[in-house]
Amino acid sequence: MSAVLDSLRSAWTEASPTLPGDGARRARALEEFLAAGLPTVREEDWKYTSLKRLDNRTATLPVMPDATAGGALAERLGVQGLDGPRLVFVNGHFVPSASDAGDTRLEIGSLGAALAAGFPHDRLGSVIDLQRYRFAQLNAALFADGAVVRAPRGVVEPRPVYLLFLTLGDEDALPIVQPRIWIEAEAGAELTVIEHHTGERGDALSNVVTEAVAHDNSRITHFRVQEQAPAHIHIAGLNIRLERDARVHSHNIDFGGGLVRNDLHARLVAPGAELTLDGLYFTGGTQHVDNHTRVDHLAPQTRSTEDYRGVLDGQSRAVFNGKVLVAEDAQKIEAHQSNPNLLLNRRCEVDTKPELEIYADDVKCSHGATVGQLDTTALFYLRSRGIDADTARSLLTFAFANDVIGRIGVEPLRERLAAQVLGRLPEGESIRELT
Amino acid sequence: MLKISNLHATIDGKEILRGLDLEVRAGEVHAIMGPNGSGKSTLAQVLAGRDTYEVTGGSVEYLGHDLLELEPEERARKGVFLAFQYPVEIPGVNNVYMLKAALNARLKAAGDEEMDAMAFMKLVREKMKLMQMDPSFLHRAVNEGFSGGEKKRNEILQMAVLEPKLAVLDETDSGLDIDALKVVAEGVNSLRSPDRAMVLVTHYQRLLDYIEPDYVHVLSGGRIVRSGDKSLALELEARGYDWLQPEAVNA
Ligand SMILES: Nc1ncnc2c1ncn2[C@@H]1O[C@H](COP(=O)(O)OP(=O)(O)OP(=O)(O)O)[C@@H](O)[C@H]1O
Ligand SMILES: [Mg+2]
Repeated sequence: MSAVLDSLRSAWTEASPTLPGDGARRARALEEFLAAGLPTVREEDWKYTSLKRLDNRTATLPVMPDATAGGALAERLGVQGLDGPRLVFVNGHFVPSASDAGDTRLEIGSLGAALAAGFPHDRLGSVIDLQRYRFAQLNAALFADGAVVRAPRGVVEPRPVYLLFLTLGDEDALPIVQPRIWIEAEAGAELTVIEHHTGERGDALSNVVTEAVAHDNSRITHFRVQEQAPAHIHIAGLNIRLERDARVHSHNIDFGGGLVRNDLHARLVAPGAELTLDGLYFTGGTQHVDNHTRVDHLAPQTRSTEDYRGVLDGQSRAVFNGKVLVAEDAQKIEAHQSNPNLLLNRRCEVDTKPELEIYADDVKCSHGATVGQLDTTALFYLRSRGIDADTARSLLTFAFANDVIGRIGVEPLRERLAAQVLGRLPEGESIRELT
Repeated sequence: MLKISNLHATIDGKEILRGLDLEVRAGEVHAIMGPNGSGKSTLAQVLAGRDTYEVTGGSVEYLGHDLLELEPEERARKGVFLAFQYPVEIPGVNNVYMLKAALNARLKAAGDEEMDAMAFMKLVREKMKLMQMDPSFLHRAVNEGFSGGEKKRNEILQMAVLEPKLAVLDETDSGLDIDALKVVAEGVNSLRSPDRAMVLVTHYQRLLDYIEPDYVHVLSGGRIVRSGDKSLALELEARGYDWLQPEAVNA
């Protein structure tokens, strides 16, 4: 067994007495994960993303910084100006003093507290295809805490619930942080959740697992915003189930991290379900960002629209694999997917692959993936009006990314992300008003 | 103001301009006509600095500068303006803010004070009225989803705001209905002044009824093969291009 797996076992032995929930369940999950081992590039799903750099690392349990430091960090790195409830976690541990569940009719709290109060442990994992998604087992074994956000039947909460996950890395060891998130909108309910993963310093591995269930006629808007430090390894699984007439809009934004892997798996299980997937990755340096999305249309009259876009700079690398499955008898389906990529220089690389598996005949499906540079005609047009070349390039790059950012309805978040894109572009600050 | 001497230009190794000479003085309006594919747009794009064309010989002097040495944005800031035959759609970039950035870049380069948002909006609204453009175009992305005629009007709006010294209009009249043509002509005429010059590329005499040129040239086979006054345009309308140097026309 590799060093990292050994260290995971020791970490578990050390931590298990203090972990909330059903210990036997956790133990089983650990054994299953260790038996399967880390994925390798020989597996089709991991062909372009190597975890070899993990092999000889020593995974450790993250230290919990004191609450005051956590609060200060939240102020510094968090999204400001949000008016809803907020839960803050540092290295996977809940920081009550920096959190405010606010005054809402939602059920919001730390997962640890929820499990202690009787939240059924076996509900966790019920939305996940565990065979396919191994890292969920590791999370199931070792999660220290996380969040539960539930909207009871008919409750409509327009203010976003802000879940801030801060990670502090380490220079030598590899702290592993494993937040676990449960989101649920009961029939007719509406809620918005922002999952924000950010941090600083050195290395860390985060393995986030989110499950979201949208019951009949409910709406969930979900944001996953990842701005981890450059050395960070970030693995995230987002698992969604949509029931009759449910609507889910997921926004998946990756700006940070050194090695990032997202597995999004959505299942539309009843007629009328409608899913929108927006994604944006903006990479530079030697970043590697891999998005695997999978949408299963398991019932007739369901719709999905996916727009994942990438802007790549430096020597970065991106992978996109978008699978759409339409089950037999799932007629009158619409599924649209696009993955345009903008390469800002010739040293970056994208591997993009749509995968359609369609077993029904009355379906409307489309997909399109492109990898290209900025439109030289548009560049020339702007320059011919007196706009300098750098500004023109930045403007077109921003407009490309802003297609996704512009669809973000939560203003402080949208503004922050737009500002971050601009911050990475030459002359960025002067072009904000041009768009 | 503009002196083009023996200009040669190629695209993808194919020679399009083959020794073109043209001189334009301040205050003048020149019309350039000529068969499809003769190199009119090539000339216009080369003057604006499009780098897909390679200039392989000759020179272009503009207000004492070697124009060919300047970047496209430097040319624009020194007062060169090209109204595109096919204006480019730029999704996600706001029409009016693009124009503001363009104007301010020009003012800044000239050492003048940049215009604030209020003054600028007032100016644009005025010019839009002149161009009979609906204010909703303020908020749209550059040319995105504009009809052919709307795009052409938008080009002239940009010109009216930027007040260039040398305007090159590449078939701005094509695709315009009669009313739009009058509006565009009015926009152009309002800019006519002793210190500005214009080069109109057109296929139709019709435009020249509204904007009277001082000179008319025929560009054919990459060269100016005939120059005259406005009566030349009438003659071309009546006789076509065939009677002019057939070997050049067919080259
Ligand atoms: N990339 C290219 N490779 C080869 N030939 C090209 C290329 N681009 C343009 N040309 C050719 O250059 C010639 C001149 O084109 P240009 O657009 O300047 O003509 P024009 O006089 O403006 O014609 P029109 O009246 O139709 O607008 C044409 O024959 C055109 O096919
Ligand atoms: Mg042309």
